[in-house]
Amino acid sequence: MAFEDLLEDPVIQKYLHELVGPKGMPVAAAPPEGEVTDEELAEELDLELNDVRRSLFILYENDLASYRRLRDEDSGWLTYLWTFEYDNIPENLESELHRLYEALSDRREYERTHEFYLCEICSIRFEFGEAMDFGFECPECGTPMDAMDNDRLVSSMDERIAALEDELNVGAEA
Amino acid sequence: MSLAEVEADLSEDERAGLELVRQSGGIHQSDFWKELGVSSRKGSRIVESLVEKELVDREDAVYDGHNTYYIAPTARDLDFRLLMAGDMLSPFIGEEEVDANSDAFSQWIMNLAYED
Repeated sequence: MAFEDLLEDPVIQKYLHELVGPKGMPVAAAPPEGEVTDEELAEELDLELNDVRRSLFILYENDLASYRRLRDEDSGWLTYLWTFEYDNIPENLESELHRLYEALSDRREYERTHEFYLCEICSIRFEFGEAMDFGFECPECGTPMDAMDNDRLVSSMDERIAALEDELNVGAEA
Repeated sequence: MSLAEVEADLSEDERAGLELVRQSGGIHQSDFWKELGVSSRKGSRIVESLVEKELVDREDAVYDGHNTYYIAPTARDLDFRLLMAGDMLSPFIGEEEVDANSDAFSQWIMNLAYED
């Protein structure tokens, strides 16, 4: 098996699981060295060929696998020879850290500049304008809404944003 | 050879250099050898070797008006746990668009605020 040091990281395991799903995990979690065909993988892992192909194409779409095609001269059939490209995982996750950072910054701005009301029974949150339109009563159950304090959300977002800025050398400090 | 094995094989100077790059989060080559307390020639040999082993990234830079290199840790050194809130991974993974107001992201932020 290849890329063992990367696959030891629980976040990377989780990432692959998120991409290929539970059925694809046997394929994603045990990349062989060198080239392999979908049939070889299916046999080795005792999986349906379709499940193997599905995982391989998801990995391909995420730059984590590549293939070359060979045509069998007698039968005319195409064989796909796959290579796992897990060296790209760190760069992929780096761009995910940047995407998360952007989203957190946008969301923090929204949280800071809006007021919220909450129906505690239904756990539904309303913006001030929406809440006013409903007369500050939950449209689902009729319970009066309470003003909701989002300080804890904002402060935990502050902390994560600061950690991301430090790690990625972006934002305030850069 | 895995990266861990490559790292275990480093000379003392290389190891100190790698540590400096990681701790600084990125450093210009002209500061690198000074901070490390070695000659500029030795500094550049250390960087050369770390680049070749893919332990650091190097790019051209202009610093204090002269041409130098900027030496940075590779993506492998990033702390990917920053993608997690509790046991939930960033909801943008596998998604084309980033929607900062999506329900999935609200859930992620709730996890972040109330994780133990």
